[in-house]
Amino acid sequence: MNKLEFLTRLRNCLEKGGMNSDDINDALTYYEEVFLDAGFGKEEETAASMGSPEEVAVNILRESGIQISGPEAFAPQPPPAPAPMPQYQYQYPYQGVPVQQQKSGHWGLKIFLGVITFPIWLPILIVVVSVLFALIVAAFSIIFAFIATGIALTVGGIAALFEVPSVGLMLLGAGLILTGIVLLICKPVLNRVIPAMGRGIKGMCNWIGSLFRKGGKVNG
Amino acid sequence: MGFSINAGLLDAMVLSIVQRNDTYGYEITQYLRKAVDISESTLYPVLRRLQKGEMLETYDKEYMGRNRRYYKLTSQGETSLEEYREEWRNHKKKIDSILMDEGAEENEQA
Repeated sequence: MNKLEFLTRLRNCLEKGGMNSDDINDALTYYEEVFLDAGFGKEEETAASMGSPEEVAVNILRESGIQISGPEAFAPQPPPAPAPMPQYQYQYPYQGVPVQQQKSGHWGLKIFLGVITFPIWLPILIVVVSVLFALIVAAFSIIFAFIATGIALTVGGIAALFEVPSVGLMLLGAGLILTGIVLLICKPVLNRVIPAMGRGIKGMCNWIGSLFRKGGKVNG
Repeated sequence: MGFSINAGLLDAMVLSIVQRNDTYGYEITQYLRKAVDISESTLYPVLRRLQKGEMLETYDKEYMGRNRRYYKLTSQGETSLEEYREEWRNHKKKIDSILMDEGAEENEQA
């Protein structure tokens, strides 16, 4: 968020809160000055450090005696519920408990995001698994084709041997060479490739499963 | 982290910073940050409150082609600051008596 956006949103909130225009201008002058004093290149950083304009507005309005339920009173998009500002609590409690609450909020957000983004990650998952599966099928088909051709050439060669011996010998030789190549090269390679793809699919499933299990542990 | 700062304490610290010399919002925040974890947005309501209570007054001063709002302690602000300081001394003593185990068991926190 840049300076202009921050100040515009702040102004809108203060107007909605029913503050008079002198007070609004006073507040905006102050916040604009903060941006200017923080430095020209630091608008985003400064805005981030100040929190959302809605939260800032709530605190300003409270100080002028206007009670607002919370930042969500202004915003169409609900920002995270503001923890009561620690600076204004009248006692000296330790901060441990509110921090924990925030954590569980993050967890809720994670589930929410997981569910919301499901139309994105589910198709991706399906595509990846399908491609791996397709590769396995393709590999099998290629071996099968080689073996079938080898056998066909060998058998054809034997048959042709009795009619045209030279052609028969050539076919028989080609068939044996082909079968030999398949056995020599493809078999050891595939012995490694196929289990590797299987492990890939299995690993993926485990990883997806662990995403959910891991989250549960953090929360518990 | 650790202990939170209440509104009264924040008021008192701001008054004390302004007492040293007149200064502006951003600088006050930077100063406070040496001791407490506050953001730039926290200070404005505090300054408004002190202005309404007539403990601070403002004037504008030109700085690099724009106006910068300076805060200045009023005589009422001086008085309040002294009261705050006295109150803090007592408060600190009572807390220390328990937290640092410095005797005085009959104390209760104010």
